[in-house]
Amino acid sequence: FRFIKSKIHSRKPSPALIKSIKEKIRIAPA
Amino acid sequence: MAMKKDATYYDKVFEEEFLPHLDALYTFAFHLTYNEDDANDLVQETYLKAFRFIDKYVEGTNAKAWLFKILKNAFINQYRKQSKQPNRVDYEEIVSYHDEEDTTYSSYMDLREEMFQQMMGDEVTTAINTLPVDFRTVILLCDVEGFTYEEIAKIVDIPIGTVRSRLHRARNMLKEKLSEYAKKFGYQDKRIEKKDKQNH
Repeated sequence: FRFIKSKIHSRKPSPALIKSIKEKIRIAPA
Repeated sequence: MAMKKDATYYDKVFEEEFLPHLDALYTFAFHLTYNEDDANDLVQETYLKAFRFIDKYVEGTNAKAWLFKILKNAFINQYRKQSKQPNRVDYEEIVSYHDEEDTTYSSYMDLREEMFQQMMGDEVTTAINTLPVDFRTVILLCDVEGFTYEEIAKIVDIPIGTVRSRLHRARNMLKEKLSEYAKKFGYQDKRIEKKDKQNH
């Protein structure tokens, strides 16, 4: 039953999301 | 001697300890929102917040659980914003406890689930996605991401006993929803079968 896992599909974010995150943290204060 | 933590150090932590969890965070965000744009926004907000508070993060500790907690809180706040309730300040979002039940965002989710249900053909996927969000969350965190009960308790801000009871109820709800579908594939709930045998 734990069938359930096979039905919860993992999803890939678009490369644009990674690019956007990296760009934004460059201008964000750490 | 304490190591000096400069921008290069934080960049390294971000790249090596935070970014590897991007796919898992996106999958979780998508199954909370059912919308690619909303999932993108949630993940981006999570990473920006994590970077802003990176000095609070202790290298080598559970980065994944910390990021999931930030995302879960961002998700809850998103629906507070929708209903024009006052927002929490950033730092509180990361360290404070949330109310266990929030009927405002629960009712909002019902509407989204109804829309999503109409789009989905697969009965099983639909059954999972129509679980109330609190129950779907613990299934995702436990069965998909493999978090321990203790980690889930910290991410969702509920006692461990509540994690166990939510998992139990969520799985039972799924079994009820899927019982007809499952029989076609030879699955059967042995607890019911055993009870039937004992009663005859």
